[in-house]
Amino acid sequence: MTCIQVAQLTKQFGEQKVVDHVSFTLEEHTATALIGPNGAGKTTTLSMLTGLLQPTNGQIIMPGVKDIRGAIGFLPQYPQYFSWLTAFEYLEMTANLSGMEKRKVKKEAQKILEFVGLGAAMNKKVAAFSGGMKQRLGIAQAIIHQPKLLLLDEPVSALDPVGRREIMNLLKEIQQQTTILYSTHILNDAEEMTDQVLFLRNGQLVEQGSLHQVRTKFDEPRYKIQFVSSDEARQFASQSELVAKAEQNIVYADIREEKPSMQQLLHRLASSPYHVVKVERETASLEEIFMKVAGSDGTI
Amino acid sequence: MGQFNTFLLKEWRESWRSFKFIWIPIVFILLGITDPILNYFMEDILNAVGNMPEGFATMMPELHAIDLLAASTGQFQSIGLIVLIASYTGTFSKERQNGTATLLYVRPISFTAMFLSKWIVASSVAIVSAIAGYAGSMYYTVLLYGKVDPARFMAMLGTYCIWLLFVMAVTVAMSAAFKTPIATTITIVLILIGSVVDSIIGGFWTVTPYKLSTYGLRFVDESVTMSIFWSTFILTLSLIFVFVIVGIYFSKKRASTVKV
Repeated sequence: MTCIQVAQLTKQFGEQKVVDHVSFTLEEHTATALIGPNGAGKTTTLSMLTGLLQPTNGQIIMPGVKDIRGAIGFLPQYPQYFSWLTAFEYLEMTANLSGMEKRKVKKEAQKILEFVGLGAAMNKKVAAFSGGMKQRLGIAQAIIHQPKLLLLDEPVSALDPVGRREIMNLLKEIQQQTTILYSTHILNDAEEMTDQVLFLRNGQLVEQGSLHQVRTKFDEPRYKIQFVSSDEARQFASQSELVAKAEQNIVYADIREEKPSMQQLLHRLASSPYHVVKVERETASLEEIFMKVAGSDGTI
Repeated sequence: MGQFNTFLLKEWRESWRSFKFIWIPIVFILLGITDPILNYFMEDILNAVGNMPEGFATMMPELHAIDLLAASTGQFQSIGLIVLIASYTGTFSKERQNGTATLLYVRPISFTAMFLSKWIVASSVAIVSAIAGYAGSMYYTVLLYGKVDPARFMAMLGTYCIWLLFVMAVTVAMSAAFKTPIATTITIVLILIGSVVDSIIGGFWTVTPYKLSTYGLRFVDESVTMSIFWSTFILTLSLIFVFVIVGIYFSKKRASTVKV
């Protein structure tokens, strides 16, 4: 089932196209990462999906949904709250404004606050909340009305490693009930919770597909062979007929169409006089793919 | 209706927890009691601290209750209104500016409910302040200068409250349409400078909201012309209606300027 379909989405501020003919489809119960460098148009894209910004052009369709605003939950990068409300009062207000049935509101608000780990702090004013607690409240307000689509703008960028881990675990749990689209530039996070990646650069969608597809496309697999000394490494790299380069005591040997195979390589190493410490096959991390996509000149 | 109640509760809590419901009425009480007390003891004050030369004779005017209510009204019309306008001129624009509105605007909200709730709570603070201020003024006026008919006093107070509804409608509407500094400037020009202009060259016309406070005072000394008062009353209500509509329109239109 399709959750949301975005076609030719464009936003122009004056002459500048901040988002340029972006099209993609999100299937239900999937997690999609919107990846791109700063200024690529991630936040603008999300803002248009929430209805905060009117697109210059293009369509956003959610099958079977009349008012998209009722069917989405949104967490901005820097959520701002009314600091004079308590967490419970805030959640009660947002649930009411989202059109939740009145008799359900109180119970639901309490349940969600406990779910995000704010059960003990629910009657505290938001003014006294730490960054991590505010992010939890942000997630709570985004999911309280059980949206079909959850939009998160850099959900963990501002958190410390512990907070990041906790929020990621929370999101993984939420993912089982809803569709998630989140922007990020922290690629480890994207790697952890993604069915699909969308690469944005200068407002254009330059790459999309499952993580596996994108990886296969951009991967430049290679062997990493570590020798005891850098002399050995240099000699091995120059003597063998591999496409290889030596960096200190490590040799990187490219793999082209699965050649040479690991077997061939090991065979060659075994018959050489050099002392090998470690041999491994490397695949590109999302970070390297990101650098390639972000750095290439749009010809892909 | 549900949304309206939710917004009303939110605005109420904001004004209550930021103590606007307390300190603004206190300002009005202080403004209200200053004139009756100061005028009553003026002669003593001058004798005590005036450092007047020997044989200096002062002529104190014979003041009546109405003069002191007029003086208090003058205070409310200047300092009082500035306090009220400054307190509520950011009611929309500040929320957009600091991003607290973002998480409201992404929901299917009614801007009509939002605007009305803001206007009603701002007006409530204004009306409570006016009642407190006039009550203070009235208390010392009656104590020191003589009686005022309660019914006429109520008529004056009621008239002034209509004027305040107008002032707050302008304030909230401007806040919906502009950024805070611009909204403040335009509201002050419309309300305070408008009042000054009206008092200078206002002899040429009679039906304008700026004259409501004057007509309120005329209820007290019974010099009000009812036909003119009713025309003014209806014009003011119509203008309030216009500003409310304009405000709702702009609150919706400017929603996209919210900081994300």
